[in-house]
Amino acid sequence: MADDVIISYRGVKKAFGGNVIYDGLDLDILRGETITVIGGSGTGKSVMLKMLIGLLRPDAGHVWFDGAEVTALHEDGLIPVRRRIAMLFQGAALFDSLTVAENIEYPLREHMKMNHDERAERVREVLDLVGLPGIEAMKPAELSGGMKKRIGLARAIAVRPEVIMYDEPTTGLDPINTSRINELIVRTREALGVTSIVVTHDMASAFKVSDRIAMLFNRRISAVGTVSEISRSDDEMVRSFIEGRPAYSPSFPPQKAP
Amino acid sequence: MIPQPLRIDIAIENVLSRVGITVRGAVEYTGGVMVMFFRSMRASVRRPFEWRSVVEQIEIIGLQSMPIVVLTAAFTGMVMALQYAHGMARFGAQMYTGKLVALTLTRELGPVLTSLMVGGRVGAGIAAEIGSMAVTEQIDAVRALGADPVKKLVVPRVLAAMFIMPFLSVCTDVIGLFGGMAVSFLEYDIPMGFFAKSAIEITKFSDFFSGVSKTLFFGIIIAVVGCYQGFRTRGGTEGVGRATTEAVVIISVGILIADYILTKLFLSF
Repeated sequence: MADDVIISYRGVKKAFGGNVIYDGLDLDILRGETITVIGGSGTGKSVMLKMLIGLLRPDAGHVWFDGAEVTALHEDGLIPVRRRIAMLFQGAALFDSLTVAENIEYPLREHMKMNHDERAERVREVLDLVGLPGIEAMKPAELSGGMKKRIGLARAIAVRPEVIMYDEPTTGLDPINTSRINELIVRTREALGVTSIVVTHDMASAFKVSDRIAMLFNRRISAVGTVSEISRSDDEMVRSFIEGRPAYSPSFPPQKAP
Repeated sequence: MIPQPLRIDIAIENVLSRVGITVRGAVEYTGGVMVMFFRSMRASVRRPFEWRSVVEQIEIIGLQSMPIVVLTAAFTGMVMALQYAHGMARFGAQMYTGKLVALTLTRELGPVLTSLMVGGRVGAGIAAEIGSMAVTEQIDAVRALGADPVKKLVVPRVLAAMFIMPFLSVCTDVIGLFGGMAVSFLEYDIPMGFFAKSAIEITKFSDFFSGVSKTLFFGIIIAVVGCYQGFRTRGGTEGVGRATTEAVVIISVGILIADYILTKLFLSF
């Protein structure tokens, strides 16, 4: 089983100023699975993702990716990691000054030795995959929120990563775009065989796309299990979160800085 | 409530601690700006060179600033001619107007006013653009996609500013002199040929050089502070507004302080 673990968080601690986000977070992610991390706003779900590619550093603890300790790598050493792990940012984070095609080509230029035609071919291919063919010349400002996310995904998968991280992929989208993105997450995994980490507070989305669900609560992963295990869980916090009962609040029970 | 007597020791302590906090903030900030500058210099020699971005930035920082530079230069030269011709008339020394305008422009006002105007325009633009990128996670995205944001965003702006500012400063000198010459002739009947001749005669290469070379440093201040403000932007659109305003203030103050230090330095050679 241990061989199947591709990503490990061990004893990770992180605080921003006096605000403690994690106090000993542990999680193993298996190769090829889709795991969803759920938790309320401000519980630091995105921080987990950013730590995995070294955009943020933990104050203590370790993060491992495929046998290499990410937390011990310098900025240059992180480049191969970032080549293998792609991230879809919450607001898509497309570069406003570049066209759709240039956005998607960006990681290709950085990471791969491809000529102009190969890049154009790859752009076409990923745009087809996200269902938006022929919009190479458009600028991000001309796109709707849902389209931006899909282009963000196209940019993320352009380098054929092994892991894709989705930061709140369905937040702020209408129901049709939400289900479109959910389908894309499932389809991308089938097409590319990637490991997917989804961070969300959208339970419908979590149940739809995941193999396993982990719940971030009280500054650590408080519950983790398969979709059916989590949906049958009798843990009070898990139940209140997945059922959306008001009893749940990120600050209950009161959190104190250690 | 009984009014508390003013405790002079506590008052002094409060003032000193505020001064301490301000000084510490300023030192930290200056350190941060310098680190960013040195990182950008190191990144600038690493392949591949971002020629396209540098040329783009030269256009944005340089060519698009031309109208403001031309206006600043022309009116500065014109006002100086008015003031000098008027003031020097009291000593019967109006014929020195050309020399004074030339010296003041090339040594001091040309470079400083150009840099202040361009600094306001370009520094605000850089801080707003990079600040918006920071709050929309685009800078994180640059890193996540395997690139170095300092190389991609800071280097082109710093190189472009270092290259273009001296050029703009030369334009200011020339345009300002023409402005001064025109006003001297129209208002005070000082012959243009005489004005030009005396201006060229008095200006030594060192005067011209000290003025123009100062703008190289001002260019660095404009680009690096603008970028630094952008990178540290937090807190959405409000944060972008704050970063932009601060950038203009810090760049202006930075230029004035650097001007004193550089002038002192050049005079000692």
